[in-house]
Amino acid sequence: MLSRVAERLYWLARYLERAEDTARLILVWHQSSLDMPRKAQPGWDRLLEVLGAQSTFAQTPGVANEKNIVSFAFSERGNPSSIISALTAARENMRTTREIMPSETWVQVNSLYLSVARRSNKPLAKGSRHAVLNGVINTCQQISGNLSGTMNHDAAYQFVRMGSALERADMTTRIIDVASADLTSMSDEGLPYQNMLWISVLRSLSAYQSYRLGVRARVNPPDVVEFLLASNEFPRALGYCLREVESSMKLLPRSGRALKLLRSVLAELDATDCSELAGDDLHQFIDDMQLHLQAIGGIITETWLSPDQ
Amino acid sequence: MAGSRIKAPTPYQRPTTGYDWSDYDPGEFYDEIISSPGNGRAAARGLVAYIRKMSAKRLISRQQAADLAIKEMGISFTVYSDGENIDRAWPMDIIPRIIALREWKGLEAGLIQRLTALNMFIDDIYNKQQILKDGVVPKELILSSPDFLEACMGAKPPHRVWSHICGSDLVRDGDGTMYVLEDNLRVPSGVSYMLENRAISKRILPQLFENSAIQPVDDYPSQLFEMLASLSPRKSDSPEIVVMTPGVFNSAYFEHAYLAQRMGAELVEGPDLVVDKHDKVHMRTIRGLEQVDVIYRRVNDDFLDPEVFNPDSMLGTAGLFRAWRKGNVGLANAPGSGVADDKIIYTYVPAIIKYYLDQDPLIPNVPSYLCVNKQHQQHVLANLENMVVKPANESGGYGMLIGPASTKKERQEFTALIKKNPRNYMAQPALALSTAPTLCGNSLQPRHLDLRPFVLQGKNHYVTAGGLTRVALRKGSLVVNSSQGGGSKDTWILDTEAN
Repeated sequence: MLSRVAERLYWLARYLERAEDTARLILVWHQSSLDMPRKAQPGWDRLLEVLGAQSTFAQTPGVANEKNIVSFAFSERGNPSSIISALTAARENMRTTREIMPSETWVQVNSLYLSVARRSNKPLAKGSRHAVLNGVINTCQQISGNLSGTMNHDAAYQFVRMGSALERADMTTRIIDVASADLTSMSDEGLPYQNMLWISVLRSLSAYQSYRLGVRARVNPPDVVEFLLASNEFPRALGYCLREVESSMKLLPRSGRALKLLRSVLAELDATDCSELAGDDLHQFIDDMQLHLQAIGGIITETWLSPDQ
Repeated sequence: MAGSRIKAPTPYQRPTTGYDWSDYDPGEFYDEIISSPGNGRAAARGLVAYIRKMSAKRLISRQQAADLAIKEMGISFTVYSDGENIDRAWPMDIIPRIIALREWKGLEAGLIQRLTALNMFIDDIYNKQQILKDGVVPKELILSSPDFLEACMGAKPPHRVWSHICGSDLVRDGDGTMYVLEDNLRVPSGVSYMLENRAISKRILPQLFENSAIQPVDDYPSQLFEMLASLSPRKSDSPEIVVMTPGVFNSAYFEHAYLAQRMGAELVEGPDLVVDKHDKVHMRTIRGLEQVDVIYRRVNDDFLDPEVFNPDSMLGTAGLFRAWRKGNVGLANAPGSGVADDKIIYTYVPAIIKYYLDQDPLIPNVPSYLCVNKQHQQHVLANLENMVVKPANESGGYGMLIGPASTKKERQEFTALIKKNPRNYMAQPALALSTAPTLCGNSLQPRHLDLRPFVLQGKNHYVTAGGLTRVALRKGSLVVNSSQGGGSKDTWILDTEAN
């Protein structure tokens, strides 16, 4: 299999996952803004932080209010992490690998892109936000389902899997980081709403139900952090995603170096009692994990995608 | 309650108002299907009778079914318009074009004869240049041609074949004679559409396939693979063959991907390939570098290798030419093949056939006038209204003057162009191109067409059974190119003696 094709599949999966995750985030921010008193609400500017997009937003003319930030995250082409940018990139990667992808997935990606592009010149009104964002999430899920259900689970598919898993791991760690920072800075008035905030965090990852089923405890910060970082069962948890990458790598040629790195990161995660992490420790740990994720992405690129031969 | 019987329903009768051919009139033109009003040619009688039983409504619904299948199967081509690439559904008319096997056998022999001689010519040009020394083709014509690649001098590709895949355009004149209109020896396209047209018409008109001996075309990808394998420098059972495409923005990308898929070959772009210090070509794969034996390249000479040709090319691979010169990789078609499909060289092809094979051409050339020749030029300029003027080095129907359809202003422009750069122009009398019935709106109308068969030459020869029939969909138009509103038809080579 050509490295170029592998590279496009990997990024196709990453961008699709990014579009889905960003839609999840906006939706949760939107919903919690309806639930909570204004003082306890997670500010919309925190959304920019999760997306790592503060400086890009600062270059746009708008002020940092809800309407502008939602548009920025949804349809601003100048924002590389917006849904429209992710879908544009996903579509371009798919367009150039059409011959090896199930043909209906191209139609799905293309029409998803077109439907978002059609809406991109006006703000996403509150009334239609839920339907539109859910539409993005559902279509992305359909596409992953289609890929997993109709593509050969050969080398090509492993690159799709690794792309999704790494992007997911990245988003999960970002969300925990911002949420925990939010909590530490929360005023006394906000404290009663602490649980609700963690529930939103879980919801943004579609993890609320799985948490209740898996942890069988009420929502409390240490258990949530542990669940989202270390679970080997919940498919959006960092630990699960890393193992997903590991199992894909094992099926690929020349995986020695990459597997070694991955296993060292997993060992570090396993050796950490995540429920003990809070405040600065948690932030530091997540920072480390983010660097590891970058290194894993780097070694995947070096080994298979654009080997410097 | 005896005796009360329910009245039997009237059996459904299919309306008998079929298409009676009475209003189909090709006029002065030779029609491929009809020999005289209402009567089919020998090979087309089955088709004519079949259509006679069909109402216009059913014909149209078959056409719609074909259009839908084309959309679903994603058969498309790309056109450039306003700086944007648009993927358009491939236009195919469901009424096939039919040629009797007996006639086809003669054309097949003529096409093989032609390509054999052209390959001997190219090989001679880049080696001894005997034909130039013997004065059969003027030396300055070759040396001044932009398609003559100095860098190829002395190269000796496998089997001494340069153009392995050739698409020659055939047209039929008013008296029924088939002519070669031009040869495409570089990167001819269209063969995937020939294959897809057949797949569609088998879906749409299965009854006709059951009842007549239509020669199959489906073995083209395996024939192509075999031919490419015969160019491999490594003698192994499974040579690594790749199709090289300029990328997704190329108008023929669909075909590149299609052929790669059908041959089970990788579809590569220039940056996927790398030439090592031993001048061997490899592709970058997830397993590391893998050596490539044969490249079916669909990238033009200019962009093939920035070391030798256009240094700004991002579509090629540095060192490819070196590797080919050393015999480490097979390139189809070989660089420099274009020297023989220049529209000026075309006029010498009958002489070229005579020179190398000592045979008369089996398929004639269209009479041609070279504007560089003073007398010819005068004739062309005096008869511009009845001439088709072509630039020597354009393809796709661009930059042509079609005399009978031209305005006075266009003729004046071309007069100036020809006078300014006579080497660049040749002219042919406008032929009365043959027609075939084509579904236009809700009736069958005669429309002009041509035929592009594909000829392979490696260790052996192969000619497709038929080829791609292109049809000008506008009334009276002679321009068949899909980029300019042309359509296509399935082409049936039919054995009338088989049944």
